[in-house]
Amino acid sequence: MTATTARLPRRRGASIRRGQAVSGWLFTAPVLILLGLFLLIPVLMAAWVSVSDWTGRGSPLSPDVHFIGAANYGQVLWAGGLSERDFGTALKNNFWYVILVVPIQTIVALALALAVNRRMLRGRGFFRTAYYFPSVTSSVAITVLWLFLFSTTGAVNAVIAWFGVKGPNWFNEPAGIFHFGAVNGPVALESNTLLGVSWWDWLGGPSVAMTAFIILAVFTTGGTFMLLFLAALQNISADVEEAAMVDGANAAQRFFRVTLPQLRPTLFTVITLGLIGCWQVFDQIYTGTRGNPSKTTLTPAYLSYTAAFNNQQWGQGAAIAFILFVIIIIFTLIQRWVLSEKAVSKRRMGWITRAERSSTAQSPKATGHVAIVGASRNGSGSPEEDDS
Amino acid sequence: MTTTAVPAVGLGTPDDAAPKKVPTRREHWTPSALTAQILIYVLLLAVAVLYIFPFLIDVATSFKTEPDAAANPLSLVPQTWTTAAYQRLFFNSDFPIWFKNTAIVTVFVTLGRVFFDSLAGYALARLQFRGRNAVFAGLIAVMAVPNVVLLIPKFLVINQLSIYDTYAGMIVPLLADAAGVFIMKNFFESIPASIEEQARIDGAGSFRIFWSVVLPMARPALITIIILSFQGSWNELAHFIVSTQSPDLTTLTKGVAQLASGQLSQGTQYPLKLAAGAIMTIPVAIMFFIFQRRILNASQGAVKE
Amino acid sequence: MRFTKAGAVVLAAGLAVSLTACGSGFSSGGSTQDNKKPLSILIGSSGDAETASVKAEVAAWSKTSGIKATVTVASDLNQQLAQGFSAGKPADVFYLSTDQLAGYASNGSLYEYGDKLTNKSDFYPSLVKSFTYDNKLVCAPKDFSTLQLIINTELWKQAGLTDSDIPTTWDQLTDVAKKLTTGSQTGLVIGGEYARIGAFMTQAGGNLMNADSTKATADSDANVKALDYVKQNLAAGDFKFAADVGAGWGGEAFGKQLGAMTIEGNWITGSQTADYPSVKYKVVPLPKGPAGAGTLQFTNCWGIAADSANKAGALSLVQQLTTKSDQLAFAKAFGVMPSIQSAASEWKKEFPALVPFLDAAAYAKGVPTAKGSADVVTDFNSQVAKLSTGDPKTILSSTQTNLDALLK
Repeated sequence: MTATTARLPRRRGASIRRGQAVSGWLFTAPVLILLGLFLLIPVLMAAWVSVSDWTGRGSPLSPDVHFIGAANYGQVLWAGGLSERDFGTALKNNFWYVILVVPIQTIVALALALAVNRRMLRGRGFFRTAYYFPSVTSSVAITVLWLFLFSTTGAVNAVIAWFGVKGPNWFNEPAGIFHFGAVNGPVALESNTLLGVSWWDWLGGPSVAMTAFIILAVFTTGGTFMLLFLAALQNISADVEEAAMVDGANAAQRFFRVTLPQLRPTLFTVITLGLIGCWQVFDQIYTGTRGNPSKTTLTPAYLSYTAAFNNQQWGQGAAIAFILFVIIIIFTLIQRWVLSEKAVSKRRMGWITRAERSSTAQSPKATGHVAIVGASRNGSGSPEEDDS
Repeated sequence: MTTTAVPAVGLGTPDDAAPKKVPTRREHWTPSALTAQILIYVLLLAVAVLYIFPFLIDVATSFKTEPDAAANPLSLVPQTWTTAAYQRLFFNSDFPIWFKNTAIVTVFVTLGRVFFDSLAGYALARLQFRGRNAVFAGLIAVMAVPNVVLLIPKFLVINQLSIYDTYAGMIVPLLADAAGVFIMKNFFESIPASIEEQARIDGAGSFRIFWSVVLPMARPALITIIILSFQGSWNELAHFIVSTQSPDLTTLTKGVAQLASGQLSQGTQYPLKLAAGAIMTIPVAIMFFIFQRRILNASQGAVKE
Repeated sequence: MRFTKAGAVVLAAGLAVSLTACGSGFSSGGSTQDNKKPLSILIGSSGDAETASVKAEVAAWSKTSGIKATVTVASDLNQQLAQGFSAGKPADVFYLSTDQLAGYASNGSLYEYGDKLTNKSDFYPSLVKSFTYDNKLVCAPKDFSTLQLIINTELWKQAGLTDSDIPTTWDQLTDVAKKLTTGSQTGLVIGGEYARIGAFMTQAGGNLMNADSTKATADSDANVKALDYVKQNLAAGDFKFAADVGAGWGGEAFGKQLGAMTIEGNWITGSQTADYPSVKYKVVPLPKGPAGAGTLQFTNCWGIAADSANKAGALSLVQQLTTKSDQLAFAKAFGVMPSIQSAASEWKKEFPALVPFLDAAAYAKGVPTAKGSADVVTDFNSQVAKLSTGDPKTILSSTQTNLDALLK
């Protein structure tokens, strides 16, 4: 994105350039100061708090506060106490949330986009609006609605009852969905633990309560990501597909060999944003369950908050936040590696080059822009993806 | 000077630049294709109902009595209409204060972001200065920091600055966002430089050029920023939890979240909670419907209807 | 992401400026005292009745003392207290729960004024114990509540039960619960948490910690016995947890007649009158367990912040709010029980139906107050919610480990 740097002609005078230097800094100063104050300094301060014994009274920078090394991280990661188990539980809950939400919402969004993108569709505007609307509403309002829909006597259970099945008490049901009602697991799984949580529990999947939140996430973000895919689909020239069609590729082949590869940058953006967003579930938990039932909706983000603000364990709270930061980075790197550009087959390349001349898609910018739209809730994103 | 010739590429309306897709051939429906088509519509409609119905339930339930809400969760027609929930919200709770606070914060944050983001975006796109690349790299880095990491430290800094529990503490930290700068930078890069050069030769200063030449052309991008800021600050929760404690500064999100988790009320009280949720959705919904063409077309201008 | 030198310098400069410019944000502890300074009072209110009556009593005090005072209702008391303390501007006077006491007392956030109270000896000794930290009474007990058995008298009659059937032993409780369980109605519906089930522990002679909260006693045989008893009845379907019948708490299940009996405190009277006025009920003492009578008691105190600029005024206010007349006014408004013994007889006269609650003061046990115990109790609760399928011994031993860790 820095290719435009040297656009101005050279004959420009030195004075103008100096003027530009001054105004350049002046123009960016407000943003720099604000971001420095409320992003950079907070991160540095939290880093200090995470290795200090500050108890929440007075300034964390006062001389009474001492450096205690990795003790806070130890409490959370290897001390073997309640803090470790809580963190392990939160991690387990959120892990399943991510593992389920990210793929499902990506597939749902892609499916919606493909359906809405059909050439002959009538009422496209209506469908797009309907699918996108949940994305603009606040997570608080939606969570309140969800609490009602998934209550014992709520709408969801009323629908389930049509089939003669008694629905669960969603937000009060701590049972893991992959335990399928089994209460106790094999001893080997029960007795070995990771971060204070038994393997049996790790493998149990999200609780029924968390599943309701998973459905909520797919419901609200599907629309946002649908827009990203739609944008990308618009920028795929129909010509490539037609070239493939001429070659006798069937619909499935065309989708997997032509459409999908061209969507890869968008796919990358969608999954990255999904990962970042899903690892920070907070609003829904704060509004809805506060970690209940049986801590099965506890998430690291919410745990970090309660540790600091309710239990005066500021150091631990900050430590959890940093560990979460690292986890998000690791997950993003892993998926970057998995989705990394692989060699394009010769045949497919042929279709693309044949079509290339007629299509001057603006896809880098378009997707970059919408990526930010999608990321705005998280205040983050990675719009600088290579759109090769 | 011709401002009309500016193609609004890059900011969501690539339709002017991209070749238009013209349906080339009229399709003839074979029976199987027709069935497939009908199936698609049925499916799309079913999903649409799934997406819209919850909101209808929300509004309908807010006019129900509590036993009615529990007994007929799916019904869209209350057995007995009651506005008790709304009366309680508006005349017997802090709800109006929450609404006022959210409105104040949203207005200031939106104005601030529009100005600061476009200012910085312009500088990064057009002005030559040492360190520009560093600033840009810094912005990108900043965007990667997850919000939740900032929850605790933001409180610490707001507190250090002595703006804890004030409007300033609620508004100022939200005033700039890296993503907005990024959008504006992208947009300004898509405008031909020749117009500004003309102004520069005429002796206009950088701010003057920005303010009276470039900014007026940036309407589509500014609308995008307005939408994002409005939606972002209207729906923000975590920041308000950590930046305030006084009930006079409670926002809609914070207030309703606490209402939902039962801290202000006993029992389930779904009509009340859903009414609160419905009202807080209205402004964003209005915003959405006013700008929906822009929001939706922003991402896919090539489709003409 | 590359950071060039220039960028780093700018950011570092910003950091330095902001930190030096704002070092004044914290001036803890040594605030100058001014005994005319207005007071702020932060309460966690159970409803409009409590808010109104606290406001009225505080206003009355303001009038006589000439010190302005404003009452604020917290939406999330613990969080607001924590933020207030960290921000260096806490409320002057506030409700403080037993499980929060140790944390704030240990970091010096609280003004330890207990010894200055003129009516110190009038408070119930067990309440004083709950608010003692390092052998000093930190704050004045505000009021207290205990748990007893609440019976739906109509359902009781329908099941063919009479007054002589009121259970006095665990076995009898099982019997009547069985008789009261029909269709969608369960004999006893209680909250699935320590704050209810703990009553059975005390009846078996146990509790999570000893009275001073200096020793963890979670894995005692008495506690195992208590959880086993509850578990058996859950398995038989005669007891159920409120969440399992779709209610937020025992009182809601009781009011909606999902349960014919519940175990709740004296606060239940307010919500029953307001939400379920048609349900007739009666308060009776909980049955005796293997070790005799037992129940839990809950209490809050009037905390005063060490950072308050008017500690003298705050103390005088608290002194007033704990007098007999004020406490009886609160009792009438929202059903709490006075924390002073001298108000007992008048309270009983005022609320004859609730006498079992106050009588429990003689034998009720407090909840753990050690620093961090709230977390352990939360964890215990999360395991107890699954008691019907869980193993009492495992639950209690993990709780023992967690409590032991607090005392290290």
